[in-house]
Amino acid sequence: MALPRSVFSPAFRYQHLSWFFVALVGIMVYVATFATAAEATLSAITLTWDTGVESRLTIEIPAVEDEANMPQIERVRQTLAILKAQPDIALVMPLPDDEAARLLKPWISQPELLKAIALPTLIDVERKTGSSLTAATLQDKLKNVAEDIHVDDHAAWLADMNHLVNGLALMAGLMILLTAVTLIIAVSLICRAIMATEHDTIALLHIIGADDDAIAKTFQYHARRLAGRASMVGFILALISVGILLFFLRRFADPALLQPMHWAGLAASVLVVPLAAIAMAALSARLSALKLLRSMP
Amino acid sequence: MLVQFEKVSLNYGENHPVLTDINFALPKGGFYFLTGPSGAGKSSLLRLMCCAEKPNTGRVFLFGHDTSHVARKDLPDIRRQIGVVFQDFRLIPHLTAMENAALPLRLVGTDEDYITRHTRELLEWVGLGKRLDALPAELSGGEQQRVAIARAVVNKPKMLLADEPTGNVDDETAIKLFHLFDELHKMGTAVILATHQQNLVERFNKPALRLKNGHLTSLAAKAA
Ligand SMILES: Nc1ncnc2c1ncn2[C@@H]1O[C@H](COP(=O)(O)OP(=O)(O)O)[C@@H](O)[C@H]1O
Ligand SMILES: [Mg+2]
Repeated sequence: MALPRSVFSPAFRYQHLSWFFVALVGIMVYVATFATAAEATLSAITLTWDTGVESRLTIEIPAVEDEANMPQIERVRQTLAILKAQPDIALVMPLPDDEAARLLKPWISQPELLKAIALPTLIDVERKTGSSLTAATLQDKLKNVAEDIHVDDHAAWLADMNHLVNGLALMAGLMILLTAVTLIIAVSLICRAIMATEHDTIALLHIIGADDDAIAKTFQYHARRLAGRASMVGFILALISVGILLFFLRRFADPALLQPMHWAGLAASVLVVPLAAIAMAALSARLSALKLLRSMP
Repeated sequence: MLVQFEKVSLNYGENHPVLTDINFALPKGGFYFLTGPSGAGKSSLLRLMCCAEKPNTGRVFLFGHDTSHVARKDLPDIRRQIGVVFQDFRLIPHLTAMENAALPLRLVGTDEDYITRHTRELLEWVGLGKRLDALPAELSGGEQQRVAIARAVVNKPKMLLADEPTGNVDDETAIKLFHLFDELHKMGTAVILATHQQNLVERFNKPALRLKNGHLTSLAAKAA
């Protein structure tokens, strides 16, 4: 039970309808591929953050202005003593001064300026697993050494960051969903337009005994063929764009994002986009054709 | 029974009755004329007979099936047993004579070798052996009509409906066409031929259904 596929070929070419079709699907695939790449990357970022750093606190002891009163070295020594006495702390790791300088380097380009700045001393501590020690209580305990000591909780900061990243990922997901819905609507509109112009041919096919499904399948065939081309073009352009973007972002990239595992996952998830677009275009063409055909005698 | 109409009426819009209280029954395998002046409702009656239209009231039986109770998925099967030659031919403009004529066979997924062989033989039989690959626009009106006839009979239907097949041809060609339909009839297909040309009806001694203003005035077919 098959209709020659050429029956509706001129109708798809009429008024450049197939061009509109290809352009629409191509744009949708481009946008969705981009959004999927963003989504996959964002999820990977949270994944790398989730491992290891959440039990860590960082204590920042600002450099003293007046070394005569209580020298910085003395403040650090007292702080370390208090930290080591805490039963909840498993590990205390003072960061060497050049480490602090290294962390600041990307933000301050002139090396002389960097030397001139009085750098704070940083101490990382690792909480014992299951410990309920918070940044606030620890800061309280260190108050005696100096009022301006600040304790940073990575977990809290991580949670904020996670919310942001999850929000962005959700938006990317929403964008993918919207593109999919737009694609389905656009394809079914184009099919309806073609069916309206081909009303007489369809009536004839019905009279000579074509069943609705055979006619709908021809629409599916054309939609799949056109969506196939469109997806390929949209996908390749999106990959090139993502590539260019990553090239410019590579200096800021989290090293975890450069691992092959991430790339394999990214490739797998973006590859789904053009395939899904083709499947959705074909299916929505067939179903919208079927729906319209059922309303005919 | 081939076709049976029971109290059938059809209107286009509210106040436009086209066919009123039509009752008749045609046995299998006959040759019938459907006559009446222009606008009498001949084309409308044929549309009811090929399920292109549904009656507003009454029932239309085709090959024993009540068409108003046939499931949509079974409709194509019934339609495939009916060949229709439209007044305006309705060939698909971008398909060749061969492809147009072969369309009904393609629908049922007939083997491609058979399609080619059988369609070619049929087109040769209607005198188009040399125009197989011509597009409709490259054919004369008479040639297009023969393609349409070939398409109507290519899958050996039980019933052939022809709407004014001689409307646009000279008398000589008209008579040739009648002979063509008669041959098809002799090969076992029931033929129902709508025409307003009374002179042609009288030349051939066949039973006729007469329509006037949407009413069936002659049930000559019943006696046949
Ligand atoms: N699609 C239609 N819509 C409205 N009126 C129609 C339609 N088709 C036919 N008619 C009307 O129905 C009547 C019968 O038409 P038709 O069946 O074509 O007659 P015939 O074939 O005998 O000339 C005419 O008055 C015609 O104007
Ligand atoms: Mg007519």
